[in-house]
Amino acid sequence: MDASSRPAVVIDNGTGFTKMGFAGNVEPCFIIPTVVAVNDTLSSQSKSSNKGNWLAQHTAGVMADLDFYIGEEALSRSRASANYNLSYPIHNGQVENWDAMERFWQQCIFNYLRCDPEDHYFLLTESPLTAPENREYAGEIMFETFNIPGLYIAVQPVLALAAGYTTSKCEMTGVVVDVGDGATHVVPVADGYVIGSSIKSIPITGKDVTCFVQKLLKERGEFIPPEDSFEVVRKIKETYCYTCSDIVKEFNKHDREPSKFIKHWTGVKPKSGATYTCDIGYERFMGPEIFFSPEIYGSDFTTPLPAVIDKCIQSSPIDTRRALYKNIVLSGGSTMFKDFHRRLQRDLKKIVDTRVRAASSRLGPDVKSQPIEVNVANHPIQKYAVWFGGSVLASTAEFYTACHTKAEYEEYGASICRTNPVFKGMY
Amino acid sequence: MTVDAARQVQATDHPTNPANRPASVDQTFTDFDGVAYHLESPSKAGPLTLSMDIRCWSELVQAGAMDVLQREYGSWLRSSVEPEYSVTLEFDFAKVPAPGPERDALIESVSLLKRNAMAAPFERAFALQKQLEQASEGGQPAAPGEIMPINYRDDEAIYVIPSADRVTVVFSTTFKEETDKVLGKVFLQEFVDARRQPSIQNAPQVLYSNREPPLEVRKVAGLNRGEDVGYVTFVLFPRHFANAEVMAGTISRIQLFRDYLHYHIKCSKAYMHSRMRHRVAEFLKVLNRAKPELAEKERKTASGRTFRRA
Repeated sequence: MDASSRPAVVIDNGTGFTKMGFAGNVEPCFIIPTVVAVNDTLSSQSKSSNKGNWLAQHTAGVMADLDFYIGEEALSRSRASANYNLSYPIHNGQVENWDAMERFWQQCIFNYLRCDPEDHYFLLTESPLTAPENREYAGEIMFETFNIPGLYIAVQPVLALAAGYTTSKCEMTGVVVDVGDGATHVVPVADGYVIGSSIKSIPITGKDVTCFVQKLLKERGEFIPPEDSFEVVRKIKETYCYTCSDIVKEFNKHDREPSKFIKHWTGVKPKSGATYTCDIGYERFMGPEIFFSPEIYGSDFTTPLPAVIDKCIQSSPIDTRRALYKNIVLSGGSTMFKDFHRRLQRDLKKIVDTRVRAASSRLGPDVKSQPIEVNVANHPIQKYAVWFGGSVLASTAEFYTACHTKAEYEEYGASICRTNPVFKGMY
Repeated sequence: MTVDAARQVQATDHPTNPANRPASVDQTFTDFDGVAYHLESPSKAGPLTLSMDIRCWSELVQAGAMDVLQREYGSWLRSSVEPEYSVTLEFDFAKVPAPGPERDALIESVSLLKRNAMAAPFERAFALQKQLEQASEGGQPAAPGEIMPINYRDDEAIYVIPSADRVTVVFSTTFKEETDKVLGKVFLQEFVDARRQPSIQNAPQVLYSNREPPLEVRKVAGLNRGEDVGYVTFVLFPRHFANAEVMAGTISRIQLFRDYLHYHIKCSKAYMHSRMRHRVAEFLKVLNRAKPELAEKERKTASGRTFRRA
C-alpha cells in the first residue's frame, strides 16, 4: 500500500493535551490528556512469592509492559484503583520520559487512531526551544519501533501560522502567542523560520488561570467538593470566563446588575451523588486578567502579556518588525476567552503608539513616520490551531518530499531528524 | 473500527452536542489493513453518510458480504455507493433513535462495519462446514470445500477452507524489516508451543511454516513463496463456532490476527528499548563514578624553585 496515497497522521503532543488525527480533516479525531497510567505493582514484587500463583504471575509479568492506559482512561483508572500511577511524559513542552512517551504513542497509533504505522507518513510537533537530541530520539522511536515510512517534525508556532491560511493569503511571517496548558511562548517567525533568540516565554499558563479561579472561589467560601475541584473549576473557566476591557468598570457593572452577570454552576458530588451549586461572579473576568496584570496572581512575575510581545518584537531584526506587528496569531486553548484578542490588540497598540509618538516628538515635525499597524488575528480554530496547521501542511503534495524517509534513516542514522526543511507547500 | 473508534463517530455525531442538535462534519480516517472511511454530513439537516473502502471488496461480495450487511444494517444501507468507496451507509437524522441504549447499540454496530463486511467469508465457511458434516455423516468423508482467498493486503492473504470436521484458516504473513522477521518467527513458534499449557486447551490449534505454503492451499494460484513469507494455520473446530455468540467472537478475533501480531511485535521492540535505556542509565552512573584521581603534581618554576599544586 503506497503510503503517500493515504492521509498522513498528524500528532500534536502538548504538555496538557495531545491532539491527533489524519491530515485533510478540519479537526483532530481525538483530544486526550497527555498522561500515562502505569501499573507498578507487579514489576516491583519479589520473585520468590507464592509458587501456586506462578502461572498468573508469569503471564502478568510477561504482559506487564502492556498493562498501561493513556488519556482519559488513565485518569479514571488511577482514581479507581491504587495500582496505577500517573506519569506525565511532557513538561513545559519537552519530553522528559521517553519510555512513557513511546508507550503513549504506541497506544495512540494502535488503540485510538487504529492505523498501520507502516502505511502512513507522520507529522509530529515540537516546542520551539527543543534540543536537537530530542528530535533524534523521537525519530529513532518512530522509525525503529513503528517502522513508519516517513517523518517530519514541525515547530508548533510555524504550524499555528499555517492555520491562518486562506486561499489568497499565506503569511509565514508573524508572532505566534501560544498559550497552552503547561507553557506559554511568544515566538516570532519570519518566512517560516523561527527567530530563536527572540523567543520569550512567560510562566502564566492555562493551569494558572484555573488555580487562580479556584483560589478566588475558595476564598469567597463557595463549596466545591475537594476531590475534583480542579476539574470542576477548569470546566467553569472554559464555560464562563471572559476578558474585560477595564477591571474597574467591570466591577461596577457586576455590582450594578448582579443577576445579569453572576452565573451558577450545578454539579454532582462524586462520593455522595448529591447536587450542589456555586455562584461565579468576579472570577469570570478576573481569571483571564492575570495575563494582563500578573501581579494579582503572584509577585514573582509582573510583566503583562502585551509588554512581553512588544519586547519580543523589538528584539527581532529590524526589517521584520512591521510585518510581525501586522500578523500576531493566537493559538492554544487558553486564548479562547471571549474578547481576548481585542484586549491584546488594544493594549499592544497603546504601547506601540506611545513609543512612536515619543520618537516622532524627539525627531521634530519634519520626519513623518508611518503608523505601525497592529493586528491580532482571531479565528475559530484557535484551540487546536497547531494541529490544524499540521493537517493543512500534511495534505499538500510537497509534504511527502520534505519528510525524512526510512531509507534515509537507515543510510544516515537518526541525525537526519535534526533538521526539518521549510517546504514549498507552506507558501 | 471497534468501539474505540465508535467514540470518534459519536464525537462527530449528534449525541455529544449539548443541545442534541446535529452538527455538520466531514472526516476522512482509516483503519487497519488499508481500509479508508469517509464520514460526512454536508449540512445540519442533511443525512449523515459513512462510506468504507476495502481493498478486497469484490472477493467479499463473492462470499456473501452484501447479505451480512443487509442483515446488520438493513435500511441504513444506501444502494448508490459514493465514488471511490466500496459501500455506503446513510443515516437520516429524523430516523435515528433518541439518545439511549438503542442509539448506543446502533453506534456500536456501525463502528463494526469493517468487521461485519470481513465476516462474510467466515460465516459462509462455517455454514459450508455444517453442510459437509451432515453430508459425511453416512461414513464417507467428503472432500474439503473450495478455498476462499481474501487478499486484504497487497502481499498478504487469508485463505478459508471448510472441511467436514473443521474449518482451516491460513494466513500468509510478510515482514519487511529484519528485526520484525526475527521477532515474528519467534512469536509464531511460541504460538505453536503454548498449546501445551493446560489452560489453553480449548484454543484453536496453530501451525506455522516458513516459506512453504501448507498442503491445503498449494493449489491456489499466485501464492507468495518468497524468503520472508510465513504461513500460519489456524484449525477451528466446530466448538469454536457452535452458537452465535461464540461464532461472532471467533470471527472478530481471527480477522484481526495480523494486526494483533504486528502490534505485539512493536510492543516488544518498545519494551526492549525501555530496557536498553535503563541499562544505558545504569552504565552512565557507573561511568560518572569512574573519575581519575587528581594526582599531586610537582612543578618547577624557571628559577628552579619547586612547589606543589594544592
